[in-house]
Amino acid sequence: MRRALRMTLLLLVGAGLLRVALFTDLYLRYVKQGMRPLLIASGALLVLLAAAEAVSGARRREDDGHGDDEEQEHGHGHHASGTPRAAWLLLPPALSLLLWAPPALGAYTAARQPAQPVTRASDFDPLPATSPLPLTLSDFTRRVRQDDTQAIKGRVVRLTGFVTPGGRDGDWSLNRIIISCCAADARTVKVRVRSPHTPAADTWVTVTGTWRPGGTLGTASAPVALEARSVRKVAKPVNAYTDALLPAPSE
Amino acid sequence: MRVTGGTGTVVPVEGDPAASEEDEPGWPRYWPLLLLGAAVVPGGLLWVLHLGNRWMETPAMQAWRTVCLAVVVQALPFLLLGTLLSGAINAFVPARVFQRVLPRRPVYAVPVAGVAGVILPGCECASVPVANSLIKRGVTPAAAFTFLLSAPAINPVVLTATAVAFPGDPAMVLARLLASLGTASVMGWLWLWLGRPEWLRPVVRTSGHRTGRHRLREFRVGFQHDFLQAGGFLVVGAVAAATFNVTVPRSVLDTFSGTPWLSVGFLVVLAIVLAVCSEADAFVAASLSGFSPVARLAFMVVGPMVDLKLIALQAGTFGRAFAFRFSAATVVVAVLSSVLIGGVLL
Repeated sequence: MRRALRMTLLLLVGAGLLRVALFTDLYLRYVKQGMRPLLIASGALLVLLAAAEAVSGARRREDDGHGDDEEQEHGHGHHASGTPRAAWLLLPPALSLLLWAPPALGAYTAARQPAQPVTRASDFDPLPATSPLPLTLSDFTRRVRQDDTQAIKGRVVRLTGFVTPGGRDGDWSLNRIIISCCAADARTVKVRVRSPHTPAADTWVTVTGTWRPGGTLGTASAPVALEARSVRKVAKPVNAYTDALLPAPSE
Repeated sequence: MRVTGGTGTVVPVEGDPAASEEDEPGWPRYWPLLLLGAAVVPGGLLWVLHLGNRWMETPAMQAWRTVCLAVVVQALPFLLLGTLLSGAINAFVPARVFQRVLPRRPVYAVPVAGVAGVILPGCECASVPVANSLIKRGVTPAAAFTFLLSAPAINPVVLTATAVAFPGDPAMVLARLLASLGTASVMGWLWLWLGRPEWLRPVVRTSGHRTGRHRLREFRVGFQHDFLQAGGFLVVGAVAAATFNVTVPRSVLDTFSGTPWLSVGFLVVLAIVLAVCSEADAFVAASLSGFSPVARLAFMVVGPMVDLKLIALQAGTFGRAFAFRFSAATVVVAVLSSVLIGGVLL
């Protein structure tokens, strides 16, 4: 009996890991891309363990007709072979991975976090001449707040992220969530956007527009804000927890 | 003890013939009740599930579930590695190896164990089961705890990550190494001085390989047991971390970043609550650019040694009495050590 429980738990956890890492890209909702080989290896190992447990159980039963011989033998010591009670707690996450994987963090988390301070850049190259100019939200923030050459002034830029509505004057925020390790350390980069209408929360959009003047450009007083010319829905990227440029949308 | 529900596994019926004989003639007496139950229970269950489902799909609960699963998914491979290693130590490494490697006197064994932490390339989840297996094989607990604290903080993977996260700032890597090693050793000595064995859950001292038993099977069974146990406690820690993560918005905590002392305290609390894996916490620390270098150092020293999932793991492995005392003392020592070393180096 205990053996069956143990086997089931190992199998479910292993299968859950394999499902999110090997058969789908769901693991990218929780951890970084680099974890994939580790997750697949762990899943496979757990499934193998479950199989070994089954085989050894079957063999024991054949031997002497007592499947749980092992437990009786260890009844007093309760160490090496019993199923610890805490093991049950693995069941909900395993089932969740298998059947009911929660979505990636989005508007709810982004709205409750302050904008992530971007790292300081020491010097800025001249901006390429392309227009609209694709930029990451961090790069845009840096150009607005740190670049005293004011190269961003008047330039048409293109930013991509997801929407959190609300805030003052009907503005909304364009966000990207960045993780270093797993979704528990999520941080958000944000750009305020003003456009005629606000897209629904959590929609992924590409916004084309210009920096909205205010304060002194190139200092911390400048608002990280965009006057939108166009807002277009895009598909949510598979690997969403980065502030990377997405491939340009086909015109 | 016949568990068949839920998982859908068919479980062989064995033993206990008496119980099944009582069951059979017993049931007709209650059949109206059973019928009523059969009618009401599934409907009620569906209703509860429906309500629960609606509640679970609210944005806050979804975020909570995502963070919870993220911590579990991130930690599982390392936990598996740690339990594999500890299982291997139990089954294959003879006790005399440790006696030969570690100095006889515990006072000297502590720093040696601290430096030995370099060899375990993993994050903190891996080191708990390994430390436990060291104690089982007769290593003095003080040395095992020093290893437990130092291994996740000073191994090459973590130090490389720190160097990458703080480019052009080698002092940060050195400060992290020294402050972590210092904290780990002080905690080992502190255990020698003040530690009481009764705080520890009585250890089933395994003599390792027992003659007449299959080594590989011993390894598999021990490893499996440790993994299931530690995995359960990992889930407890993940739930706690996710709950803090979702209920306390970062913006509330960020108000502390102004004053230096509060900012150290704040980042220490953040390290405990976030439960970031030690291999990645340097990147988180680097991103907290509003904070002083000392505060960020404290974040990286405390993080691998004390956090919610670690406290849960330690409580499961060594017992609650130990986990809370040890973690509280570690936080104090770690903060002092980072302030001291950070003050000199950064």
